[in-house]
Amino acid sequence: MEQAFLNGSHAFYRLLRMGLLAALAALCMLQTFPAHALPIFARQTGQSCVACHAGGQFPELTPYGRMFKLNGYTLGERTIPLAVMGTVDVTKTRHNHDINGNDISPKDGNLTWDAASIFLAGKITDHIGGFAQYTYTNYDHQNASGTWVGHWGSDNTDIRYVDRIIGDAKDLILGVTLNNSPSVQDVWNTAPSWSYPYLSSPTSAVGAPQFLPVLEGSLAQQAAGIGGYLYWNKTVYAELSAYATAEGIWSFLSKGSKEGDTAHPQTYLRGYNPYWRLALTHDWGANSVMVGTFGLNAKIYPNDSNAFPIFDQGVTRFTDIGFDAQYQYILEPHTITAQARYIHENISDPNNLVLGDSQSASLNSLRLKVSYIYQARYGISLSYFNVTGSTDSAAYGSSANFSPATSGWMPEIFWIPVQNIRIGVQYTHFTKYLGARSNYDGMGRNASDNDTLFVYLWAAYW
Amino acid sequence: MNRMAQIVAIGLLVASSGCHDLERSRQVDNPAVAGRTIALQICSNCHGVNGVSVSPTFPKLAGQTHQYLVDQITDFKSHSRSDPNARRFMWGFTHLTDAQIEDLATYFSDQATEPGEPAAPELMDEGRTIFTSGLPAKGVAACVACHGQHGEGAGQFPRLAGQHADYVVKQLRVFQQTDTRPRGATMKAVCTNMSEQDMRAVAAYVEAFPQAPAAESASPVREDAVDPPAKEEVVDPRTKKAGEPSVNQ
Repeated sequence: MEQAFLNGSHAFYRLLRMGLLAALAALCMLQTFPAHALPIFARQTGQSCVACHAGGQFPELTPYGRMFKLNGYTLGERTIPLAVMGTVDVTKTRHNHDINGNDISPKDGNLTWDAASIFLAGKITDHIGGFAQYTYTNYDHQNASGTWVGHWGSDNTDIRYVDRIIGDAKDLILGVTLNNSPSVQDVWNTAPSWSYPYLSSPTSAVGAPQFLPVLEGSLAQQAAGIGGYLYWNKTVYAELSAYATAEGIWSFLSKGSKEGDTAHPQTYLRGYNPYWRLALTHDWGANSVMVGTFGLNAKIYPNDSNAFPIFDQGVTRFTDIGFDAQYQYILEPHTITAQARYIHENISDPNNLVLGDSQSASLNSLRLKVSYIYQARYGISLSYFNVTGSTDSAAYGSSANFSPATSGWMPEIFWIPVQNIRIGVQYTHFTKYLGARSNYDGMGRNASDNDTLFVYLWAAYW
Repeated sequence: MNRMAQIVAIGLLVASSGCHDLERSRQVDNPAVAGRTIALQICSNCHGVNGVSVSPTFPKLAGQTHQYLVDQITDFKSHSRSDPNARRFMWGFTHLTDAQIEDLATYFSDQATEPGEPAAPELMDEGRTIFTSGLPAKGVAACVACHGQHGEGAGQFPRLAGQHADYVVKQLRVFQQTDTRPRGATMKAVCTNMSEQDMRAVAAYVEAFPQAPAAESASPVREDAVDPPAKEEVVDPRTKKAGEPSVNQ
């Protein structure tokens, strides 16, 4: 395998990368010793990863894991709240050259140290707890001279105050969440912040649908949200939150993004933008099921070509309504999990800030996934995705049909040799890309040319 | 967003003023927290508010013998019970005080038991035979000898009646194949020669613990057997108190 990433332009970066790879390898070997040390939450509770993570497939949550999060990460004993995680991976695009012979996805076929995160998380007081992640992306973007630049930025953050009134015949959890991404506070793995694929290529330019509803990541680490929720008798979950731009005192939630930074612009929302979530759950035997609905109403200002916001031309209003369902069967040695999510987005653009051909459009996204894991060690997943929507020559100019429609399958097999390491092989096969199965860009590129093989090693330490 | 900052700050100040209320604490390392509070805020997440767990991964604790509960929590605390699920779920309770352990044991042993659904009649009959008479040819002692006529347990020997069959099978395998439950060393001799089928049969029987043999059974009828209704709640008379709420989950 190519070690091209070691040939960085600066000796310092080269040493840093070698050192971090060596550290990662050493940490892997250290795990053959009995687990006296545990990740933050595991140290806090004294429990193994599988107690909260279904079949060990983090970040999927078991019913108990959901209770841990809904209780504000406060179960257990306060401990040193630090942990780290890192990923090393290789991406291979099926046909990585465009019509002029240029690379489409950079670093294709190269083993790369992808990213590293540091976490500050866990119990703060008996009623306050949190989860704050800060991530360094090694191959974030190339600067003007073609050099790869790394980047630190805020990642998923969720801080809660929780109380629980529980007795013989009733159980009511009441909580307040402060977070930086709509759905990061959710506890089911249908939530866009926590849904499959849990890891995907950081460098591929074509390995995922190009256009998705706003709820599926557009506001991640861009917005600051405050909301209240309740979970009643382990049956009804209801939440109402409001999001605004993560600026001023809230800018710690969007660190790494700012106006004028074309690699990491800041998205600006107008006022308070509501988010809601309702879910019904039922557990019986080893089974757990959820059906739910959720939505977001976001008013987004446009940015100019230099990534500066334009506040005097109005906003585009995105109304996302979602329906989701999850099923789990968890009983040693088997874990079966299945998720289904559908989001319908209505785009209202009276000032034609994003749309060119009309003043309203729709974008719909379906994601289905099923996983089976044996002994919390050997797993297989299969996912289907389907994005459809109105055509528009301004919004989807890269498509010959001006269509965002993209669909395909994503199988994955993975191995969890020890509880804090996962090694996976993931393949994305496109049956349609930007509106067509063949010649979707008008220059002869087919959907399956973007098929992507992604092999990863994901490790966490504490 | 500055107005929002003020609202949140005030809200948190008001909210945190209530954070010394130990009635709803979820600390497991504070001697001042009542055992009942720990049971409700922590244990109930897996074992149910009334000790009747939903998932067979977690044993039912309702109506379990007091001494057995004290022993198990003590062994979890000291890490001397080290079967895989003990390590995965129960090794974090290293700071419980003896008083809290007593209170937890009392809380759960006072709860009313809830039997499970019976399995296929043939399996139930097979299980009843093992429970009441053992398997002499395999050196398997009769369970009634220690676990009681009604599977209600006694002292250090746990109640089995009503327990999740899947949990019982997995614990029998732990006793048979490992030494991770030192206090259960007696069980190793008992189940050394039990087959997978034997384990599943006796586990299915104890989960439902019916009072009488099925009509079509060919097994010998015990001399003191009576004809009760088909399904009856098995309640240890020592555990049910006047005014106790009925079991609900």
